[in-house]
Amino acid sequence: MIMQDSVETGREVYPQYNALWHLQTLGVLDAHHAPVNWRVEHKDKPTRVAIIDTSVAAKHPNLQAVINKELSLDFFSSRLGSFPLLPDGQSTIGSLPLNWNTNIADGLPHTVNLLAELIDRLSQGSEAHSKGVQPCTSPIFSSHGTNVAGLVGARPCMTTQLLPSGVIQDLALPYSGVDPMCEIVQISTNFDPEPEGLILAFLYAELICADVVLLPRNIADPYRVVPELADFKVADQNLLDLVCQIAPNQKQIDVWGELAQLIENVSQVRPVVCAAGNANEDNAIYPANLASDHNGIISVGAVNAKGYRSSYSSSRNITVMAPSNDAEAFDAAEVRLNNQSAHYNPVGVPTKNSNHKFSSFDVISTDVPGPAGYSGGPFTLPSVDGHMREYGSYFSMFGGTSAASALVAGFLSLGYSAGKIANCSGIEAKSWLLSNCYKRNCDQEEFVVPCWTDNPAFPDS
Amino acid sequence: MDIHDILAQNRFTVTNTGLQLNENSGQPVDNPDVAAAAGGSLSLLALNRNRNRNRNRNRNRNRNRNRNRNRNRNSNGALDTVAGSGMQEPWKEREKLYALLDEWNDLPIPLPPSTEQLRSEAVELLVKQALRRMPNDAHRENEIIQEATIELSGYLRPLGIEDIGGFEATETLFYLILALTDEIGLRYKDRYNVLRPSQVEPRLRPLLPNPPHQSYPSNHSFQSFSIAFLFSRLLPEHPASSELFVSARRIAENREWAGLHYASDTNAGYQLARMLAPVLEKICETQMSAAQAEWI
Repeated sequence: MIMQDSVETGREVYPQYNALWHLQTLGVLDAHHAPVNWRVEHKDKPTRVAIIDTSVAAKHPNLQAVINKELSLDFFSSRLGSFPLLPDGQSTIGSLPLNWNTNIADGLPHTVNLLAELIDRLSQGSEAHSKGVQPCTSPIFSSHGTNVAGLVGARPCMTTQLLPSGVIQDLALPYSGVDPMCEIVQISTNFDPEPEGLILAFLYAELICADVVLLPRNIADPYRVVPELADFKVADQNLLDLVCQIAPNQKQIDVWGELAQLIENVSQVRPVVCAAGNANEDNAIYPANLASDHNGIISVGAVNAKGYRSSYSSSRNITVMAPSNDAEAFDAAEVRLNNQSAHYNPVGVPTKNSNHKFSSFDVISTDVPGPAGYSGGPFTLPSVDGHMREYGSYFSMFGGTSAASALVAGFLSLGYSAGKIANCSGIEAKSWLLSNCYKRNCDQEEFVVPCWTDNPAFPDS
Repeated sequence: MDIHDILAQNRFTVTNTGLQLNENSGQPVDNPDVAAAAGGSLSLLALNRNRNRNRNRNRNRNRNRNRNRNRNRNSNGALDTVAGSGMQEPWKEREKLYALLDEWNDLPIPLPPSTEQLRSEAVELLVKQALRRMPNDAHRENEIIQEATIELSGYLRPLGIEDIGGFEATETLFYLILALTDEIGLRYKDRYNVLRPSQVEPRLRPLLPNPPHQSYPSNHSFQSFSIAFLFSRLLPEHPASSELFVSARRIAENREWAGLHYASDTNAGYQLARMLAPVLEKICETQMSAAQAEWI
């Protein structure tokens, strides 16, 4: 019996890395963290990124100046939205500067009605909480939105820390999103597979004239997640109908169709950045799979810190790849295992494998402070009188195509903020993005990675 | 200090043990102030980032725990979601619930349909009753009987954790939601006092006896959707979050197929669950966090 050499593997020795490596890979910051061909400038009207995701921990020190508290809107609990971040005691909304005359819903009968309802609900003096229904936006359960928002637009800041001795000292939080000049309007929705909530979310992104719309998630449209099912017939019925647990209803089918059309319509006016999925989905998840040359939908896949496509990211119908983490794979398509893992077992691993492609680097982002969120902390109250007690729980490792799509949305936003693009359609913004990409060729796979200058540098390679 | 100075003069480094701010602060030192400045460790990450990690995690759990999923069924078929569940009466959470009475006692669900509308909805139920006898929908009868008392398999199976150990906090959360929503639903039912479908349309022959409370809103709908809404708060990116809504709708609609609820009851239960979610999120915060920790 040959003893396996366990000394060479599974030692859990990983390289240290810069928490902002992804910004260097995108060419936005240089090795000394200096901006490359851009500089922060104050703007009266910052670039506006609408993020359609979960709620966000808006009081995070790196986010509090970024999240637009007047406009962020929650559709989780209230059908026509409740404003979660208005100052305490403000029970009505003021005059919102909205694009009231939008024709984005023309030709979509259900959507036109929803738009009329939404516009009425957003008129000056309306209730902040529609029909008195509270928003469902506790920061405790806002991990995903907080991580995504940080990658887009976190702002480096100075804050204070309470030390165990009682001394209060200044604390720098040198964490930055791709575009630390932007503002984020958080549009939170629930995950019920029904189209109305997302139609309202996209209509709202249109009404607030977002420069960039980010959707770092899938939409569980029963007809568009795996549309091929309709081609299979079982006893003269199509499989798509047979597997539906809920009887198909023509109105619902029509409204799902309108949502797909609305996303395309919005993308004509402003770029819509979508995550392509974390399970090698063929052609990407919905709605990233709507991306085509004829619209401004951008389907984003993930590339790891070695410059290889992340194992979970699909290669088809991807507009651009952006930095993210990696995952192990052990299947017929690829064997990519982390041989530094203590659980790594070489038995059964083919000699010809892709283990060398695995990268242990994660993308770091802002997280819900305190014990909640993806990273926990030792204190139930993460801050006392506004002074932080530790910073570990304020950041976490993140990844997937959610992270990659957030970076691309930030990249586009920086394009606007740095004056590289202005007043352009969704398709033009997408063209600008593609013209600022580096073409990478790895193992007969070709993909493009956004890069502000020169070639992207992959720190784990 | 402007943004660029902060970035140029400070640096976060990801080490094997956590996040380190600047070079010197992560070193072992005697001064506790300096040690505190080293920050906590970065713990776990985005849920869906590593499928294999979750797969292995489940694989390593003890799968053979033999649990009786019917333990909360009682003999008279009434909703009884706490007794026998292994959960203690959630008195702390009920206390919080009553302290927040104003936030949930008058949520704006629509007024119930008029008797005339109810009769018209009852015709839809007659159609379902007829379809129930046809081969395509006959299988619903088993589901209806299984779901007569709310038990957890309808929620655990879509999540892939039925009969798998290590998800006790998730189950406890679900039982807690069922217990709290049960009494909230009864208050709304009592307020509107709507007759059951078979009392309005005698040709309806419900598959199960009418429960001893009013029809509007449907508690099966309200309770199932409450689980779906709250679970999707703690694990939004999990594909099963959306599946739970589908299961909830199926469970709710099966009560229409059973002849026990109108479609408007189902809809009101859904709306109540959605609007109550922010209140339940406050009350169940501890249990939601514990459940979340089982998944990430």
